[in-house]
Amino acid sequence: MNNKTGTPLLEVDQVYKSFQVGSEGWLGNKALLVHAINGVSITIYKGESFCLVGESGCGKSTLARTVMGLEQPTSGTISYEDQRIDHLEGEKRLPFRRKMQMIFQNPYASLNPRMTVNQTLEEPLRFHRPELNAKDLRDKVVEVMESVGNNPDWGERFPHEFSGGQRQRISIARALMVDPEFVVADEPISALDVSIQAQVLNVMMEAQEKHDLTYLFITHDLSVVEHFGSRVGVMYLGALCELADTRTLFSNPRHPYTQGLLAAIPRMDGSELSHTKMTGEVPTAMDLPPGCVFHTRCPLAKDKCKMEIPELRDVDGRQVACHFVEETA
Amino acid sequence: MALLEVRDLEVDFPLGRTTLQAIHGVSFDLDRGERLGIVGESGAGKSVAAFSILNLIAKPGRISGGNVVFDGNDLAHISTAEMQHIRGNRISMIFQDPMMTLNPVLTIGTQMVECLHAHMKISDADAKRIAIEKLREVKIPSPEERFDNYPHQLSGGMRQRVVIATALVTNPAIIIADEPTTALDVTIQAEILALMLDLCQNHGVALMLITHDLAVVSQVTQRIVVMYAGRVVEQGPTQDIIADARHPYTRGLIKALPQQNKPGARLNQIRGSMPTLDDIPKGCSFNPRCDFADVLCSEQEPVLRDLGTHKVACHHAESIVEQLGDGGGDE
Repeated sequence: MNNKTGTPLLEVDQVYKSFQVGSEGWLGNKALLVHAINGVSITIYKGESFCLVGESGCGKSTLARTVMGLEQPTSGTISYEDQRIDHLEGEKRLPFRRKMQMIFQNPYASLNPRMTVNQTLEEPLRFHRPELNAKDLRDKVVEVMESVGNNPDWGERFPHEFSGGQRQRISIARALMVDPEFVVADEPISALDVSIQAQVLNVMMEAQEKHDLTYLFITHDLSVVEHFGSRVGVMYLGALCELADTRTLFSNPRHPYTQGLLAAIPRMDGSELSHTKMTGEVPTAMDLPPGCVFHTRCPLAKDKCKMEIPELRDVDGRQVACHFVEETA
Repeated sequence: MALLEVRDLEVDFPLGRTTLQAIHGVSFDLDRGERLGIVGESGAGKSVAAFSILNLIAKPGRISGGNVVFDGNDLAHISTAEMQHIRGNRISMIFQDPMMTLNPVLTIGTQMVECLHAHMKISDADAKRIAIEKLREVKIPSPEERFDNYPHQLSGGMRQRVVIATALVTNPAIIIADEPTTALDVTIQAEILALMLDLCQNHGVALMLITHDLAVVSQVTQRIVVMYAGRVVEQGPTQDIIADARHPYTRGLIKALPQQNKPGARLNQIRGSMPTLDDIPKGCSFNPRCDFADVLCSEQEPVLRDLGTHKVACHHAESIVEQLGDGGGDE
């Protein structure tokens, strides 16, 4: 897993995304907006496992969906191999749909209950590679099913006949059917039991080696990030706070939010329950605080934080968006 | 005598011609002010075991054997009226999703006062005073104003605090918490766990924490009971079990955690998945997934044996530790 030295595969540049949830004012002409993503820039390099972490509502899933083209960014650009893709539609987007695949959180909802495993797996291939004949299709299904540790004989069965872990392996297989280069996984193991989480993570790591995949892995579980990720982006209220190599981030977090988040992970080493330094609640994304979005909960917040939005800047081999990062060492 | 003694509890679900046995001879104690964790994956029977203590299992489920002795009463054999006196009064419950627990059309104050009126003769003013005091105890800022809020006006963490405050209004001896932090973010989870720990330590409330998260139990509880397929497979002091688990399932669970593995390395997974109730393997229910299983395991069900600090239900508990050398979670 190489990082900054590699070739950029996906570039997210100053992306903003807001959703209108209603209107107010006389004649209802003032839109009420949820600001889900506020100026996020990320470069993902070939072959890495980039993890996005954050708590619910921080915009990590919206970013994943925007990257996949399931949402249009309000402004900013997304490029794949130096080609801008965020405004592409229909046929023009088609080649990128094959290269970019997605795995969803809930394997109970993401598999069509009325399609057999074979139908589910063959469908993307029939669509993207119509030249294949029935035998090629079947061979490919068997190959992919075996590569994720599934029994190819499951083909004629329906999703309800499988456990959560088996279903998630089927949805991983579906994503791998079209030989993608880039896979977005949105909380792929959150709905699974501990012993099953390990199985699915192993399958994902093996698939990465075998098929030379690049991952964008969305999760709220920091211990999974520590294990799986090569680089990590920490999000809070639609903005990136810290961007670093996994090892750098976990050994020495610098943004006050990252520090609080890491301190909150329950540990099994017999240590006492640590109290987080953060206070209060996450503000709503409809009414963002001015300046640094984290200042309402930050133990270091000063006047400057209430006025000026901090930019991501290079500090000690990682990027941090904090005015007073020098004080957090 | 312990505050709560569960002995050989059996719970089954008669379904037409077949009967599915969800809980199989489960025994454990809970002392005054003690914090006990019940750990297992989905389908292990941990929630059914806890719910059956308060007779909250859904029909056709029923307690088919064993005793649940609380304060000299056998809760498995008392009338509904007697149970209503204990449930929510002496023993309270906290559930996973606070939005499902709270009634969305009533203010939180109304719900707390309602709980007080159900269990004691008390004036409205006194009930309100107690409710506000409990809201303050769970560290809700400006409780007088929050008293008149509806659940949707509170954040997820606040709602769970309200649920905890409601569970506390009657000063219960035991709180049973079923995955109380699973629906919450990590930073909120840390706050809620700290709060629950504080309440137990300072108010002498006994806590039964049901969770799938070993890291959470290791930080909050003193003893744990590990369940698999409706049976207790291991129990003992929390730190002993985390550091030196003897049952292959417990060891497997601990070693499967990303925290216990080298970053980027293949995780130690347990193969297969938990059997369903209609398909429990013969002998030891874990044997098809176990690396140490032999003929004995597939024929004879192991009993829970005392092994010094903890109890283990495995035929090979002693030899496993020898084979692996000094075992533990930190390999």
